[in-house]
Amino acid sequence: MCFKTLPVEFDERGNAVLRGGIPNPYDVTVAKPDVDLSEEERRERIESLVARNGHIKDLNMDPVTRIAGALAVHVTADLDKRAYLDSHAQATLFRGYEVILMGRDPRDAIFVASRACGVCGGVHAHAAAYAIEQAMGIAPPPLGTVVRNMTEAAEMGYDNPLHLYLLAGPDYSESVIRSSNPELWPLAERWSCPNEHIHGFKTMSDLMTALNPLTGALYREGLEFTRLSREMVVILTGKYPHPQNVVPGGVSTTVTLQTLNEYHSRLGKIFDYAQRMMAVWDDIPAFFYEADDRYQFVGYRPTTQIDPGYWDDPYAYDATYENCNEWGEKRWSTPGVVIDGELVTTRLTDINIGWEEFVEHSYYEESSTTRFAQDMLGNPLSPYHPWNKRTLPKPGGRDWKDKYTWACAPRWDRKVVEAGCYSRLLMTAMAQKIPDSDFITATGTSMRLLVPKGEVGEREVEWHAPARWNALERNRGRAYHYLFSQLVGLESLLEAYKLMKQGEKRVAALDPSALEKAIPQDERVSVGWWGAGRGWLTHHLVMDKGKITNYQICTPSTINASPRDPWGQPGPYEEAVMNTPIIEDVSDPSRFTSIDMLRAIRSFDPCMPCTTHVHTGEGEVVREVNTCSCGGD
Amino acid sequence: MADRSTRSPVRNPRTPAQELLDELGPVTQFHDTTHLGAFGMPSGAMTEDMLSSVATAGTPTRFGPLEKVHAFWFAGMSCDGCSVAVTGATLPSVESLLLGAHPGLPRVVLHHPVINMESGPYYLQPAEQAMAGRLDAPYVVILEGSIADEVVANASGGYWSSTGEEPWGPDGDLRPVTSTEWVARLAPNAAAMIAIGTCATWGGVPSAEGNPTGAMSLMDFLGKDYRSVLGVPVVNVPGCPPIGDNFTETVAAVLYFLQGFGPLPEFDELGRPAWLFGETVHRHCVRGAYYEEGQFAKDFGDPECLVEIGCWGPVVNCNIASRGAIMSVGGCMNAGGACIGCTMPGFPDKFTPFYKRPPGSMASTVVSRMVGSVIRPLRKFSNNNMNREVRWDRQHATPSAFSREKSEPSALAHVNHKFYDALRRSGDTSRNDADVWGKRQDEAPSGGSPRTRA
Repeated sequence: MCFKTLPVEFDERGNAVLRGGIPNPYDVTVAKPDVDLSEEERRERIESLVARNGHIKDLNMDPVTRIAGALAVHVTADLDKRAYLDSHAQATLFRGYEVILMGRDPRDAIFVASRACGVCGGVHAHAAAYAIEQAMGIAPPPLGTVVRNMTEAAEMGYDNPLHLYLLAGPDYSESVIRSSNPELWPLAERWSCPNEHIHGFKTMSDLMTALNPLTGALYREGLEFTRLSREMVVILTGKYPHPQNVVPGGVSTTVTLQTLNEYHSRLGKIFDYAQRMMAVWDDIPAFFYEADDRYQFVGYRPTTQIDPGYWDDPYAYDATYENCNEWGEKRWSTPGVVIDGELVTTRLTDINIGWEEFVEHSYYEESSTTRFAQDMLGNPLSPYHPWNKRTLPKPGGRDWKDKYTWACAPRWDRKVVEAGCYSRLLMTAMAQKIPDSDFITATGTSMRLLVPKGEVGEREVEWHAPARWNALERNRGRAYHYLFSQLVGLESLLEAYKLMKQGEKRVAALDPSALEKAIPQDERVSVGWWGAGRGWLTHHLVMDKGKITNYQICTPSTINASPRDPWGQPGPYEEAVMNTPIIEDVSDPSRFTSIDMLRAIRSFDPCMPCTTHVHTGEGEVVREVNTCSCGGD
Repeated sequence: MADRSTRSPVRNPRTPAQELLDELGPVTQFHDTTHLGAFGMPSGAMTEDMLSSVATAGTPTRFGPLEKVHAFWFAGMSCDGCSVAVTGATLPSVESLLLGAHPGLPRVVLHHPVINMESGPYYLQPAEQAMAGRLDAPYVVILEGSIADEVVANASGGYWSSTGEEPWGPDGDLRPVTSTEWVARLAPNAAAMIAIGTCATWGGVPSAEGNPTGAMSLMDFLGKDYRSVLGVPVVNVPGCPPIGDNFTETVAAVLYFLQGFGPLPEFDELGRPAWLFGETVHRHCVRGAYYEEGQFAKDFGDPECLVEIGCWGPVVNCNIASRGAIMSVGGCMNAGGACIGCTMPGFPDKFTPFYKRPPGSMASTVVSRMVGSVIRPLRKFSNNNMNREVRWDRQHATPSAFSREKSEPSALAHVNHKFYDALRRSGDTSRNDADVWGKRQDEAPSGGSPRTRA
């Protein structure tokens, strides 16, 4: 029984069915999650505190820098109690990619959807390809899937150091510590790094100096390694962030021994660096926890995460929805949902049917439908499921009680779930379903990773699922995910050599003229489950008469930046900020920088360009927009 | 809205930028930072000040009049892919520009949301100073992403794309300020307006057919009469994403000129750097010679010319095949990706559906197949000859154990090769009767020709 809120049960054969006898089972007033604090109660509490206390600041940080894209965060901060009483995450950009995809040839989806995000642009091209393949019923040959896995491992190789050293790293640098947390600096000068023998920094203060923006050695090394991994990507894809080699049914990469060697030689440089990265991001949490135990709660959220898995088994993936639970569980990173520390499912169908998106606090008009009451296997679907939604953009004024963001509120089983690349470690560790590997082992509570020898020797490292997910653990998880992804790249490279040895050359299922003929004319419904630098990525597709009739993208930052839902549950950023203690010295209120909030927010690696989007149904949206915008309603 | 985006600028002399500013009215005041304290300033200093110890270290080596330039980077309807591309640039690199470490160039004070340490109102303070004419150095504005038609969103009290808040609402209330508005207000006094990427240069995917936001390019927004204070129209560095080096090289080229030592950079009729976009990508394509010989990829992944699997390279202005995507590595066709015209004003709608051969290639591939069918055998014939050592010809034997392809040429081929060699040597000066005075008489003839001198 993986669903607690939605009235969905499983029959003896494991098929999902709606519990009988409930009228309007998906109505937001019928299936309600347990909510600790309603929105009204929270607001009343704040208002009474504001009335009694002068030390409450109501501030909007717009823009939040050193994240990707446009994000603003509103906070109500109680400097006496050192707490963030309230928080609102606002995505401040809308472009309407799904609207642009409506009515187009399905072959356009890959290159158009790729442009949804330029921070990890490759992932959208791939997710679109998976959606199209499922709709058209074409599966890539093994080498096609292997090239995709290699590409996507290299993409993570760029993405993780970009975040850790260019975006989040400066929050832990000398320049910030000496200004915002001066009490920590003398401690840092005395604190000997346990991992000095790996990363070479004697004291924490040396390490923090190396994190300084642009001038620090770690910042610069991180930037160089993002370039190296991007070289690996473009060897396979031609360019980046928008790859030019993804096609429905495979890739168009010309794979030769030179291709593999150029990838291999660069990958060989990465493992030593991965050891240093993990050593740095193991020492930083150790220092902060030792310096002040309250850092356990900066960015804290319960262990409630979701991930659809990543990097397919080239022999199991058959592009069907019917077999998705089998091939899904064979992914290098296992799909799964963890609710309050418990792994409740690893089946992609469960992940799909529990998914809903709400727009109470988003700049869209409400419009759910019952167009698809069931998925292709007969499992029940909510009217708020992406295949059923017709949400229409409606720019309007900002109101914390009403609408305040361009992001919508995705929920699974109506619970607030979090997405992250570190979720891959968590799901894979807990599920213990990972394919056999010489380098990667899942133990149930940890991931054991064998780092191949480079200039420094082979070493086994272990990532343990943290008892408490906070900002520091997200960053640590990202550093271990870097190694995990590069080991998947190595495994995939070895598979590519093996296929080449067998004389395998085919990288795509169909040639271009066969592809054109294979476009179905009947109605097809599909979903591409994939991952991004921040975790979860799905593209839901409906096509009919050979053209796209509905297209919806759900990204990890849509999930994490989500606003309140119909039950007043705050989104993950908002919740993490409200759990964050104000540790910086605010005895003089004018010195309040909000660094603790910034550390909490940045630990999610916000990526806003593709977060804001619109789902739509029948291609009527442009007319609707005319009505709602030009009509001035 | 349809009529807003199809209305001809010829009939409506007011540019979209003027229309927006007319609607929003003038602004008079800026953030009062006294009550803001340190909020959003975790490092206690602006990024410029943090870097200045390195950027101005020692005695600056002056090559020209400029010591520093501000660069305001705004993201309109963008995916941040241009920012990402520029972080990959090394010719020159962003870090060298920011640290004043590229000899001859002024240091660039970049105000970029992905790089800067300060958040919130402090991040936008230099932009406010620029608007008020109080900035301490000239500034350029760089736009990534298309310009949204905010007049439409504003009519319902909202926005499509905002960057920060300013006290520009009724009664000095804070209101979200769109990136479009920032661009409109900063353009008149900018030293240059630079559009990076296909969205900012030509509208790109956000302005594709069916878009709900009325997205447009920077040129469309500012109009054809726009000139910066230096008299420069909008500079366009297209690509989706652009090659990072194309952008930093363009910026550097303009600065080389302004510093007095570089030539005047040439821009084409659409404001593109002419030395980068003057040629079609096909002319430098690593697969171009397959086209010449009439050989075309049939399946995805094939090594030949990609035109028949949907490549538009012969009609697309771009340099990625020769420059590479990053660190001189990659390139679409180099890896097997067909060109979809992502640098072009017609992208994407004039290139869809993708993966389908351009109709124009029907005629040209027939011609190149005909020519190729003649040229290829001739080249193969010569290639066979060149694959033989002179010694092997003399000895009529090839000591290779690898494959039978190294077997001896037929008698006919042998005669033909001799004929070819005779043609080649028709003007060979080694046949002249000058005395090779340094050589001993008993020495064996050496190299250069399969035929020993008489």
